[in-house]
Amino acid sequence: MHRTTITAIAAVLLLQSGASAQMSHRHASEAACDGPELRCATKVTPVFDATGRLWLAWMAGGRISVASSIDLGKTTSAPVQVSNEELALDWGPDARPAIVVDKARRVFVAFSTFKDKAFNGKVVYTQSTDEGKTFEPPLPITSNTESQRFVATALDADGSLFAVWLDKRNRVPAKAANKPYDGAALFFTWFKDGVATNAEASIAKDNTCECCRLGVAFAGAGRPAVVFRNIFDGGVRDHAVLTFDNPTSPSHLSRVSNDNWVINACPHHGPNLTISPGGTYHVTWFTSGSVRKGLFYARSVDNGQTYTTPLAIGTHDGGASRPYVLALQQKAAVVWKEFDGNSSVVRLMTSTDDGASWSDSRIIARTDDASDHPLLVSDGSRIFLSWMTKWDGYHLQLLGDAE
Amino acid sequence: MKAFIFATVLAVLSVLMPMHSQADTGIQEFRRGSWQGILKAHAGRPTMVHFWGVTCGPCKVELPLLGAFLKEEPRLDVVMISADLVPSMRDATLTMLKNAGLDNTENWIFSDGFVERLRFEIDPAWQGDIPRTVLISRDGAVTTVEGTIDIADLKKWLDQQTVAGERPTAAARN
Repeated sequence: MHRTTITAIAAVLLLQSGASAQMSHRHASEAACDGPELRCATKVTPVFDATGRLWLAWMAGGRISVASSIDLGKTTSAPVQVSNEELALDWGPDARPAIVVDKARRVFVAFSTFKDKAFNGKVVYTQSTDEGKTFEPPLPITSNTESQRFVATALDADGSLFAVWLDKRNRVPAKAANKPYDGAALFFTWFKDGVATNAEASIAKDNTCECCRLGVAFAGAGRPAVVFRNIFDGGVRDHAVLTFDNPTSPSHLSRVSNDNWVINACPHHGPNLTISPGGTYHVTWFTSGSVRKGLFYARSVDNGQTYTTPLAIGTHDGGASRPYVLALQQKAAVVWKEFDGNSSVVRLMTSTDDGASWSDSRIIARTDDASDHPLLVSDGSRIFLSWMTKWDGYHLQLLGDAE
Repeated sequence: MKAFIFATVLAVLSVLMPMHSQADTGIQEFRRGSWQGILKAHAGRPTMVHFWGVTCGPCKVELPLLGAFLKEEPRLDVVMISADLVPSMRDATLTMLKNAGLDNTENWIFSDGFVERLRFEIDPAWQGDIPRTVLISRDGAVTTVEGTIDIADLKKWLDQQTVAGERPTAAARN
């Protein structure tokens, strides 16, 4: 029995055969090998540019590397490392490089590093203006030097780039005043034509959870929306979406659900957000609250003001984790991981009515060793599963119309 | 097939090799099967198993408080497990333990990149949030505390475990 078979729905594209890697891999490591190449990666982030070229940014061997593919990953360009030296990359469970590519094929990559022995973070970015052949030396994303992690990026319709991250700078004045400070803060900035518009960066929301990935999408031109694990009164770490009225005004905070997870901890398990062309917000998240536990989906059809009753995803006691949602016109898909005691599987459920109803879930991929979070990526007309596994390498898997 | 062969090789190796090896830092490597070994080793004694990690902010605050409490508390077995993703940093882990006065407790560190499998053996519903404390009573009843634990609650639980007149248990950290 071939237990590591990846179940293809329409197509399975193997970018890397893991065969040779397995001969030398260390069981103790998340990675199949120690080098900077793709098959050694623990985190891989995909994005399609406007022409349908697939771009990958990955973390391997203490490096962030970038390559592109014009044939959906059958072949890739020669990988380019964005720094000359090995980096102390943030290896937290929800850390990963962010990558966006604009219409001029300017490639923007942001990621976080550990800058000291206390594991304070530093978010840096780098750009390529020659279609990924070379990258500028990484620069700090803000002039502030307090800890920063979990950067997320997205391109606006006019090509402006929105970057948002978790920032601990506000703990400094709190400490000076001998006051407690919970969590971190959501800070953001914009880049126009590759130039940071506000080096200091602006605060969007104080007192958020400090160790979970962010999700970002656009509600309209100049109107980013960010989903994050917030800290509500009483230390409740439930999810919220902050929608901007304009590029500089994060005006509307809405609670996605009342899970009542009162916890002073690092869940290491952040949410995800997509907004369909019709304006429907789709959110997936993990909670272990007193009201509900596990993975959930909810949507908003009133511009993020209110959300539907959470829909449970997967089996909580089956280790369901890392939900990710993507919407494309009326089609929407949610993937997540489950662990059955031996293998990790990716399950998929789909909607053809913009999230109003969902199919039963089914397994679309499986691996028997460590793996990255399952991600979804679109080229504008199709949705793909993007999944890095230690055992089988990187997979880009088309979710066909039947799904 | 390669996965099956690999799993078979691992199974054979796991039989041939010690269940867990102790590194020169005094921190044992937590691998597949370690959890059952820990439960077996501490069966019948009140035991606190604490999961933490070097990048976890609340853990940094909590660890010294736990260390101070446990220093004066001989009644329970203590097992500390660094549950950060591999590769975790052994030196940083040891430094934090030393600073908290916990370097001489029974210390473990996640040493298998397939963390889902490690967590599944401990609690299938656990998705990796830390800190996390598992309190195991004499009869094996498990109480799980997500997030930082209130020292007063820990003491209260321990008082309930201590039967009057019963000989105190040896602390594993000694």
